[in-house]
Amino acid sequence: MILRSLECRFLTIALCDAAEPWQLGSQDAATPMMQGIIDLHHDIFFFLILILVFVSRMLVRALWHFNEQTNPIPQRIVHGTTIEIIRTIFPSVILLFIAIPSFALLYSMDGVLVDPAITIKAIGHQWYRTYEYSDYNSSDEQSLTFDSYTIPEDDPELGQSRLLEVDNRVVVPAKTHLRMIVTPADVPHSWAVPSSGVKCDAVPGRSNLTSISVQREGVYYGQCSEICGTNHAFTPIVVEAVTLKDYADWVSNQLILQTN
Amino acid sequence: MAAEAKAPSLAEEYSLPPQEAPVEKAVEDKPQEAESISVTNDETPQADETATAVEVNPETSEVQEVADKSEVEDTNPAAEETNETAEEEAEEKPEIKIETAPADFRFPTTNQTRHCFTRYVEYHRCVAAKGEDAPECDKFAKYYRSLCPGEWVERWNEQRENGTFPGPL
Repeated sequence: MILRSLECRFLTIALCDAAEPWQLGSQDAATPMMQGIIDLHHDIFFFLILILVFVSRMLVRALWHFNEQTNPIPQRIVHGTTIEIIRTIFPSVILLFIAIPSFALLYSMDGVLVDPAITIKAIGHQWYRTYEYSDYNSSDEQSLTFDSYTIPEDDPELGQSRLLEVDNRVVVPAKTHLRMIVTPADVPHSWAVPSSGVKCDAVPGRSNLTSISVQREGVYYGQCSEICGTNHAFTPIVVEAVTLKDYADWVSNQLILQTN
Repeated sequence: MAAEAKAPSLAEEYSLPPQEAPVEKAVEDKPQEAESISVTNDETPQADETATAVEVNPETSEVQEVADKSEVEDTNPAAEETNETAEEEAEEKPEIKIETAPADFRFPTTNQTRHCFTRYVEYHRCVAAKGEDAPECDKFAKYYRSLCPGEWVERWNEQRENGTFPGPL
């Protein structure tokens, strides 16, 4: 009784949106994209376990029966048309069951031609990130831009995660279609937020696009996922999803601060 | 009666209705902007009550009484406000539109480098054709500012001034 109630409370209160020690599964999904990835993983794992059990049984059986005392004369079977046909068609069918949902998810993740509501630019540096919100500019000089540095290992506040917090978070509205443009200023980086199911490489000279539609408000953590030098492990990403009204207030306040 | 009427409204406040259709999103974005424009004091909790009351209206007719009460409550602080205070607050918070460059079918891939470059070239062609400060060109300016990193734009502006810009202006 106590354990059940505790489990229910824990599950409803705390969603896994940051990497945890010894974590084995995925973080909880915040976008339909990540939900699709998790579902695909579960589907493939089903077939994986079936194949594992079947192949393991065949292997153990072969090893067991290959015994001089029990079976002194080994079988001299050279060819069998029926078993050949079966073991060619059956794996193909399994691969088909894996490939169809996989391709469906892959092409649905590529939401490039959907008109977004907001564009955010993530510019990778060694070893921090610059974020630009340029939808609200009226000239090239004016820009809502801020740098996002990691909070050092020896300087966290109570409750903050080690090596995952930043001083300035990316603020995005929930239930809104976003366009993330990822580009670096020096070496290759990768903008990855597991809860959002996003991992977008930042290649020098290129601006790569990815789409996000966060479905629930919260704080989501990510890290640089393309080795970028000595402090690659100290370049975290924090995304905070808020309501659209709070987002508008935040932008207004940021514009005021940038102006002054 | 009043207590029973308030209970479902509180529950409904926290439960957001599922909104998946894109058309509904577009429709709902506009009233939110209208709300932000009409309500000057964002920090006042009564303003939040108004917003929640408005959201509840289309669902339950019983809650209209609560909405009417909240509207009456909002009228009083509005009357109490000074015109100078309202003007100051209007100046402090610039209005923003939640819109950005649309997706372009010419660039359906993840690589948006050419998209950014093309928008920049289109803007400067428009300026060359129609002159500075043309209203038609503002659209293209917004597009390339949304898509292009700031450093790229600075570099291209410098190249244009030097005459070494490689694009077809």
